[in-house]
Amino acid sequence: MAKERGRGKKLSKKAGLQITSMMDMFTILVVFLLKQFAAEGALLTNADNLVLPNSVSKKRPKEVNLQIAVTNDMVLVDNVPTVPTEDIKNIPLDNPNPVDPKLEEALKGHYASEEEMVRLGALNKVEGKIVIQVDKNIEFDVLYKVMNTCGKVGYNKMNFAVMEREG
Amino acid sequence: MAIKAEKQADKTEDVNLQPFMCLMVVLVPILLLQAEFAKISIIDINLPQGRGSQTQKTVKKRKQEEENKLLLTAIITDSVLTLGAKGGFLPSLFYQEYHKYITKDDGTELTVKYDPSDPEAPKHPKTGRPLEIYERYDIFLYACDETYQNLKKTLYTQYGEMLTDLDGLPVDQVQPGDSVYALSTPRRLIIVSNPSEYELRPMSVYDQLRNRLTKVKERFKDADDAEDIIIAAENQVLYDKIVQIMDAAREAEFPNISIAKLRA
Repeated sequence: MAKERGRGKKLSKKAGLQITSMMDMFTILVVFLLKQFAAEGALLTNADNLVLPNSVSKKRPKEVNLQIAVTNDMVLVDNVPTVPTEDIKNIPLDNPNPVDPKLEEALKGHYASEEEMVRLGALNKVEGKIVIQVDKNIEFDVLYKVMNTCGKVGYNKMNFAVMEREG
Repeated sequence: MAIKAEKQADKTEDVNLQPFMCLMVVLVPILLLQAEFAKISIIDINLPQGRGSQTQKTVKKRKQEEENKLLLTAIITDSVLTLGAKGGFLPSLFYQEYHKYITKDDGTELTVKYDPSDPEAPKHPKTGRPLEIYERYDIFLYACDETYQNLKKTLYTQYGEMLTDLDGLPVDQVQPGDSVYALSTPRRLIIVSNPSEYELRPMSVYDQLRNRLTKVKERFKDADDAEDIIIAAENQVLYDKIVQIMDAAREAEFPNISIAKLRA
């Protein structure tokens, strides 16, 4: 009888999971992930089909702004495809004030809605901030024309989105 | 009796961890899914203000204002990087492009020299498939001489910092006991003890630009626009290069970056 009980005890010990260390690990993992997540959520989302350039910049986006993404084939305003990039390329190079009408119209719409928000009291003032995500293989010419269009509409505070370099 | 009591005490000590475990098992995957591993950050840009058409009066006023200004400008074209200011230009940095690709199927890294006259994409070293533009991970610009034949080489520390001498010129050999600067922010003095610690590598024009900017910053601390830099680019320059120049500028403590266009 005594022998049998002893054997039973041994078996149950073998089957039991060492839960304490696992709990420790999980707790640390959860706290770490929560902390990383809670500090600032993903305010910027990466547009599809877009490779951002790598940079050493450590400045994180603090608020949600209007986003404009320039990929190899489309220009998107707040994730809505607006103009083919080809159209922007085709604006003549010697134009001193290159503006794309479709893009301008889309941006004006957003600007007007921001002004409306100010009128309703939801915002203090129209800040004119915009985040520009540009594919790293885009030529400067396109970037310049897009920036010029943004500036003309009133979005003067521009930020470039970049991928943080590892290490 | 005594044994029974002991058993009971044992039972009360044990906390039921199962619900907590369940919570953890659910929480960990959710948070892992939402965590961002590739971090996106932003770069601030100032548009050049009032550089458009102006009346005579304001132009005059401007001139006085600009007396103590540096008007530092980095100019990039498809083969040359130059640093200029109100007083003149530094010698141009001629560069050759090397592209680093990381293949998406097996992660092979390869670095190839880019020849602008031959736009064909490089081939995968194993399968021979032409590589896509999205697989290009980095563009390195290495300084060379005016003939675009010979790459300039310089010493780097094991942390990838360029070495310069006391005047800020690149160094290509060191002796034990030499004092050199490593290009960090701010510059770091090193007394060489073991020359084999440093590696001779092709000189990146971004590093050389950063080195020159650091020197400019030291010399013209009291200029009115000692924190400003204008980056002027040619039409066909890739955006990636502009971002790398912005990085060099920011690390040399020129945080107010403006962008301008070179007229063709």
